[in-house]
Amino acid sequence: MNKQPVTMPVLSDTMKTGRIARWLKQPGEPVKAGEPIAEVESDKALMDVEAFADGYLVGPLAPTDTDIPVKSTIAWIADQPPQAASSPSAPSDTPASQAETPPAVEPEPAATQSDTTAAPPPASSSPPVTPPSTPSESDQTTRPAEASETSAVVSAAIATRAHADGGATPFARGLAAELGIDLAQLKPGPDGRIRASQVLAAAIGPQMPHLELGPIHRIERPGAVKAAMAENMQRTVHTPTFHVTIAVDLKPLQEAAHANKQSLTLLLTRACALSVHEHPDFNACWTPGGLARRERIDVAVAVDTPDGLITPVLRNALRSIDELHEDWRELKGKLEKRRLKPEDYSGATFYLSNLGTFPIVEQFDAIVPLGAAAILAVSATGSDGLTRMTLSCDHRVVAGADAARFLTTLKEHLGAVEALTQ
Amino acid sequence: MQTLTYWQALNRALDAEMAADDSVFILGEDVGLYGGTYRVTEGLYAKYGERRVLDTPISENSFTGLGVGAAMAGMRPVVEIMTVNFALLALDAIIDMAAKIPFMSGGQFAMPLTIRMPGGTAHQLGAQHSQRLEHTLMNVAGLRIVTPATPQDAYWQLRQAIRSDDCVIVLEHELLNFDQGPVDETIEAPPPHRAMVRREGSDLTVISYSRMANQALAAAGQLAAEGIEAEVIDLRGLRPIDWDTCAASVEKTGLLLIAEEDSRFAGAGAEIAATLAERCFASLRAAPMRVAALDLPNPYNKRLEQDIIPQPADIAAAARALINENS
Repeated sequence: MNKQPVTMPVLSDTMKTGRIARWLKQPGEPVKAGEPIAEVESDKALMDVEAFADGYLVGPLAPTDTDIPVKSTIAWIADQPPQAASSPSAPSDTPASQAETPPAVEPEPAATQSDTTAAPPPASSSPPVTPPSTPSESDQTTRPAEASETSAVVSAAIATRAHADGGATPFARGLAAELGIDLAQLKPGPDGRIRASQVLAAAIGPQMPHLELGPIHRIERPGAVKAAMAENMQRTVHTPTFHVTIAVDLKPLQEAAHANKQSLTLLLTRACALSVHEHPDFNACWTPGGLARRERIDVAVAVDTPDGLITPVLRNALRSIDELHEDWRELKGKLEKRRLKPEDYSGATFYLSNLGTFPIVEQFDAIVPLGAAAILAVSATGSDGLTRMTLSCDHRVVAGADAARFLTTLKEHLGAVEALTQ
Repeated sequence: MQTLTYWQALNRALDAEMAADDSVFILGEDVGLYGGTYRVTEGLYAKYGERRVLDTPISENSFTGLGVGAAMAGMRPVVEIMTVNFALLALDAIIDMAAKIPFMSGGQFAMPLTIRMPGGTAHQLGAQHSQRLEHTLMNVAGLRIVTPATPQDAYWQLRQAIRSDDCVIVLEHELLNFDQGPVDETIEAPPPHRAMVRREGSDLTVISYSRMANQALAAAGQLAAEGIEAEVIDLRGLRPIDWDTCAASVEKTGLLLIAEEDSRFAGAGAEIAATLAERCFASLRAAPMRVAALDLPNPYNKRLEQDIIPQPADIAAAARALINENS
């Protein structure tokens, strides 16, 4: 039986691990090339893993709802149906049965380590220490090299090592003291011990709040969309930001939208795109190498979903309102089926966040995502009949006067109802 | 440069010192007419005569004690104990006399005594003839111990031992006697207890001595093929130990693996691990790891004998385990 591994696909640039939402095929079932065999949850969306060849799905299947590093083996496709009696690691297959086991996200470092909590292993797991039943066997001079991983000598060397008992390495302690990190707040590494990498991650990453002083708590892992939001927002902490707010009378536009059965959000999107077109600095973004100027205006619209915040992108948002409507319907369809792909929600050059559906919110501001110069926060119409719009800007790209000019243009476009609704 | 075996290098060292200093003489079992069980004294009886190469009865405590007395009287005796196993009979002369007389006499007596003894596990010599007794001797204040791993070090360190005014144990290794290597008799030797970095590396430090230093080098070769760069330090001696060289390496790599042929319990590795943990605490990314012989009398069976002593593959596997703890 020939078999090839099925691996956790890399679904986006930022994806490091994926979770299998469910298996669509079970071991032993025939599969056809291109047929979905599993659903994988990437950092934002559900995607299918397809069979790359005709054959039979063979286990062991990777567990569902577990973070699995990309490119790890999650299953196998064989050219023959597996026989009931033979397991995938039967002797006829490759000897490295250990390598075939799909790893969890933080795999045990090595076979030798998993032995370490045990006292010196029983004789049966030692290299074959054969009693000299025949003279030729006892004359064998060298121990086979491949046996050394679990040799008695190596087992003894690692048997006394402390594991999973908390604590930190001396180097980690020194680093923590120097960096002012509280070791008690750190999550230990895979072996239960705090090492330098955990200290460094804490030093440059988010700080752990002092939960021990408050009520008893439990930690709930965020879903993929919420986790991605947290990470994306965390990445913006070094963006120097300022905010400029204007008040606009949106009633004429709201009435036109209602009359034409057009989405106010899409009209706002188009008005933003037209303004960005006239103020191209707002289509740039800061990079370590300089300003990245983009040749097309792609506007992302923040959408509140049960999974969390997601930002579908309307490409070339200068197009007519009808075309934008068509694209938006398609994006919303994917969104409802949780089938949005990275290219559907990444790479925007400008962002729009509209809380107009919450009349209580009269003004708010938003965080500029990495990759954009600005985001426009639109609230509901206020008690004075005016709608507050706040532009949050990356001050490395634009200045206050730029924002004022941009908002002046935006207000003009929002007032030109006829042109905007075409 | 000439290539010599380990025993030839020892022989050259004896010859050189005997030629240079009339007070140097050799005594031990079969060192004269027979030329030494491992040929180390070959040719010296003919060259220097029976007054300077003395065959003794099988009486280790007596002829070692004779060496102690001769050293007190100003001679530079070189006692050969056929193997380290027989030194057990001479421990009174070594520990209670050679090691203590300079101290107890308030320095009135020096102890320019050299005691050579090949040790280690050879091939199927049984439990009583396969011992590593460095742990016993290391613990004795007043002794110096050198552990040459190469013919060059054998040459240098035996000459330095003979010239020393302290009692020096030259702990040889039975399996090294026929190892070949370059020996330069002209260049200046490093200090006898200076540890040597035999291979530089940045991923972990492997500290060893005697034959196991060569095994560690072989293991480092295997690891290098996998992209792991091990720094291999040969201690060259066990009392005193050159901690500065060891500490500099551990501070660089942050990981310490000790490879020893002796059993791990209360062995040389225990001392190395403890002292370097104390000295390099803040640099260590993991606890020091010791790969050592199992805590057993040596089995006679060849396969079992191999299994209780670390082989290069074991050292490499232990190094991988240590590295993996930190990945």
